[in-house]
Amino acid sequence: MQATPVQQDASRRYKSPRPDRKQLTRAGVIAVLLLFVLFGLPQLLSLYYIDTMTQVAVYSMVALGLGVLVGRVGLVSLGQVAVLAIGAWVAARLLFATTQPYPLVLLEAGLITMVLGVIIGLPALRLRGLYLALITLMLAGAITVVLATVNFPNGGHGFLGYNGSLVNIPPIRRPSIAASDPAYFRYSVVVAILMFALVLAHIKTRPGRAWAAIRQSEPAALAAGINTWLYKLWAFALASFITGVAGGVLAGAVHYLYSIGFPTQDSITLLAVVLMGGAYSMWGAVVAALLYQFLPALLNNWGVSADWLTILFGVGVLQVLTTAPAGLADQVPRDLARLGRFLRSRIRKAAPAPGGDAA
Amino acid sequence: MKRLMPAWSARRTIVLAAAIGIAAAGCSSSSSSSTATSSTSPPASTSTTSATPSTAAAGTSQCGTKPGVAATGTPIALGAIVTNQPGTSFTDIPNMANAYFACVNANGGINGHPIKLYIETEQTNPAQIAADAKQLVQTDHVVGIIGNTSIIECSVDSSYWQKLGYYIIDSGIAPECYSTPNSAAVNMGPRYSSDGAVQYALAQHASKIVFDQSNVPGTGYIAAGPADLAKAANVPIVQLTENVPISDADSVAIKEVDDAGPNGAVVLNFTPPEALVILQAAQKLGLEDRVKLWGCSTPCNTDFLATSLGPKWNSKLFVNAELLPPDVTNTPTMSLYKAILKQYGSAVSGGIGSFSQMGFTEAEIAVHALESITASSYTVANVNAAFKAVSAFNTGMLCQAWTYGSYPTHIPNNMDSTVTPDNGKMVTAQGCTQISSVDPQIAQYRSVAGTAPMAP
Amino acid sequence: MPSWQDFQPFIVSGLALGGVYALSGVGLIVLYRATGVLNLAFGALGAMGALITWSLIKAGVPDWLSWLACVVFAGAVTLGYGIIFGPALAKRDPLVKAVATIGLTLILYGLADLLWTTSGGQARSITFPTDNSGFMVGQVQVNWTQVIALAAGVVITVATGAFLRYTKLGTAMRAMANDRDITATLGVPVRKVEAAAWLGCGVLAGLAGLLLADLVALDATTLTFLVISSLAAVLIARLRSITITFIAAIVIGLLHDLLTPITALTNYRDMTPFVLAAVALLVLSRHQVMSQSREEA
Repeated sequence: MQATPVQQDASRRYKSPRPDRKQLTRAGVIAVLLLFVLFGLPQLLSLYYIDTMTQVAVYSMVALGLGVLVGRVGLVSLGQVAVLAIGAWVAARLLFATTQPYPLVLLEAGLITMVLGVIIGLPALRLRGLYLALITLMLAGAITVVLATVNFPNGGHGFLGYNGSLVNIPPIRRPSIAASDPAYFRYSVVVAILMFALVLAHIKTRPGRAWAAIRQSEPAALAAGINTWLYKLWAFALASFITGVAGGVLAGAVHYLYSIGFPTQDSITLLAVVLMGGAYSMWGAVVAALLYQFLPALLNNWGVSADWLTILFGVGVLQVLTTAPAGLADQVPRDLARLGRFLRSRIRKAAPAPGGDAA
Repeated sequence: MKRLMPAWSARRTIVLAAAIGIAAAGCSSSSSSSTATSSTSPPASTSTTSATPSTAAAGTSQCGTKPGVAATGTPIALGAIVTNQPGTSFTDIPNMANAYFACVNANGGINGHPIKLYIETEQTNPAQIAADAKQLVQTDHVVGIIGNTSIIECSVDSSYWQKLGYYIIDSGIAPECYSTPNSAAVNMGPRYSSDGAVQYALAQHASKIVFDQSNVPGTGYIAAGPADLAKAANVPIVQLTENVPISDADSVAIKEVDDAGPNGAVVLNFTPPEALVILQAAQKLGLEDRVKLWGCSTPCNTDFLATSLGPKWNSKLFVNAELLPPDVTNTPTMSLYKAILKQYGSAVSGGIGSFSQMGFTEAEIAVHALESITASSYTVANVNAAFKAVSAFNTGMLCQAWTYGSYPTHIPNNMDSTVTPDNGKMVTAQGCTQISSVDPQIAQYRSVAGTAPMAP
Repeated sequence: MPSWQDFQPFIVSGLALGGVYALSGVGLIVLYRATGVLNLAFGALGAMGALITWSLIKAGVPDWLSWLACVVFAGAVTLGYGIIFGPALAKRDPLVKAVATIGLTLILYGLADLLWTTSGGQARSITFPTDNSGFMVGQVQVNWTQVIALAAGVVITVATGAFLRYTKLGTAMRAMANDRDITATLGVPVRKVEAAAWLGCGVLAGLAGLLLADLVALDATTLTFLVISSLAAVLIARLRSITITFIAAIVIGLLHDLLTPITALTNYRDMTPFVLAAVALLVLSRHQVMSQSREEA
């Protein structure tokens, strides 16, 4: 069905080539913020917090992947930490067995994880809603048990690369340009920026529109001719790729990987923080990672038990689901704006305008 | 829609309240322990808490050099990293060390300087553990590390400590706690303690050994010791691992008993809660008498386990004891330990047992080393040199004298006893016995360090 | 390959483990059939209740009163949750309602670990008088607590099945799970019925928590996340049939323990619930797309 001249003209008008001033300002602010994070933060923070912020960068990518699934497409996955573990496993194996450059290893980890994600997604996507969420939980549980038995590579030989009787475990290597902690922090932030850009590219083009249609109503999207199954699989693949790359960055960050570091229940906590941060917004992924990694490190430093955070996450999930589905990233700016309006109205009431009319 | 509004603000208030609560908790605890994260009072203020009953301090005053005199000089900062997560908590160990330091601070300190112990807790997250080490060194400026007890900390941080020249005194678990030059442990750790338990079973002429351990990092390393011991004795050994926490203790117990056979021995290496679950399952199934004997590595050596298990396990379960049993050892050191635990050990939830004994011993060694420093200021260099120089020190808690020394590996505690439950208490079944040199790591250590003299 | 003789004791322990899974599984599906909510906090409710019981027993309160406290606590908290959050979420997808119970799980789990801290050297345990008496089956002893757990599973399955089908309240519950608005227009006191369903689920959670604390371990983490393995049975029944949930749970427990003596597979036996659930779901959904629509109960 050919678009009529009127329709073509309208669509051309919507695709305005030059970004307006608001978008430019926002891009500028983000650029300044990123520059500060890359160059300012390492000078200001102690090594303890730099290490923590590296974890924030890693988990912002994981949260981003989950956010694409939950926020953009409407698929809940309760197994992203298992996917992260797979990515970390692949990266560790490659880093020990080969001398490939780090970016190549990250890419390979992402691609292999993506392939696994697609293989799992193929049959799983026949399920929807609660069934899909639960089957991802089951698969994550299975992967966790397998990892507990085969363990993470630690420099040994064979396919699994695990030598159980080592008395001195070699560390997983880092890229030669990013061996120190501050340098590796910058490296992980750069990788995270690339992943965010990848997701942004998806959202602004056809997959993003298809996902929005599917999230609105899958039957309607089907009726409109969208291949929902393909786009859902695409979302799975994208989320798995990003999480696999995050796993690779995690491997270099921690130097040592253990299966006890990836328990099944962490996937549940991850979902909680992604919901709290805001599954739809990209900033939400950063907020989620801050909640998940920065707050615990902060509380640990203050001597406050991490259990308070668990409770907070539980309260947050309930709050988000009952009142603010868009999460903190959406809610806080609105709350601040509301607070600003409230204060302004108070000030105006307290000091009547010279003209005599209170706004 | 209208009805939602009041509910909306109620829920939002809940979240705000929770956030404020956490901030308040953080602020209040940061003001009282922005440095030391233990829950005993910081040394600087112990002058008020411990000096009150100076007569009650009489039982503990021998921990320091000037009884009754509170230390008021510049604090000596020490650090500890300890695992504290749901299901696994070793905080008793540094908390007991802190209790010892509190006692010392109330009785003269180290040449008038109080000791301040910064305790960092971790949840078996390598990134967090590495960050904790940097926090201690860079932010808290600790000059020594004592009291580390963590499933993986030695693996994660050992190259960091080596690079900076810290010689740490810890309660080891991971292989690197024993196989690197910068860590010396007061305990034997899972491998050598399991060696001891298996050794005892072999000495009772068990025809087969079933060695079952929890599936946490290091199982291969731990299993290698018992494997070598069994092979040298020509006794078959079955190696098992269980995922923890255990949810099917029944099948675990049945499997162990089946594999061991009526003349075999089942040796466990688990934390006390898991070991208890397995042993209780064996009892409920009526299997406890189906093998010749049951063995357990040191974590089982607590009165709590003896009480929970009941009389059926008297002289049935034999636990390797890395430290002298508190119930039957009546030495001044043991009395001091119990007195300090009573007076300063409110944060030590496990009470009398191997965990608090380890904390006490580590603190004892650290204080002994610090008291030997003659310089006026305490630096990383002279404190760690003093730790390394500890030689043939009689801790009163171990079978042997304890030495740090300049060795590539450290297994200074390599002699143990075996205890068995007896109506709610652990009593000695076999006195101090050397861990066999059939274990290659032990042989390697003894070849450079020799055999330490037995404690008097 | 182990012989029949070797497998025999594991059949007994497998049935006991199956009873454990069945208790949570049946409890989960009962509430789902009644309100459309998959209460993932089932384990956490029982865990906290059992810890309260432990504290009370330690303080000297008589045993039966402490056990009652567990059931009362779990029932009250679940009822409270249902009353506060039920209406707000009633119109949402079952997925959203289930994820909301994750919030409750985290709150309870955090509180439980905060109030009953882990101590390295000690473990808590609850024992029942029926623990140490039993009878021999082959070479192993079966204790009465295990029999009670299995029997409780059967009773709950049969009783709630009958309740939901034959009683007025049960029918009202099923109607509500199907479509709340239409049921309300029919004159059913929706709030009261819902409250009854939540209370029933809470009571079941408390009972299950007590039994599981005795049979498995009194540990917040273990008991809270045991529900993940029980979900496998619920999934195999496609969240529909209580009887199939019960049978699936027994099969999972049996298979899990029967794998124990097989050396090559023993380290992977904890995967049994997950693999069975995944396979069953994928096979069962082979010819249709499975989704949560308002028309399904």
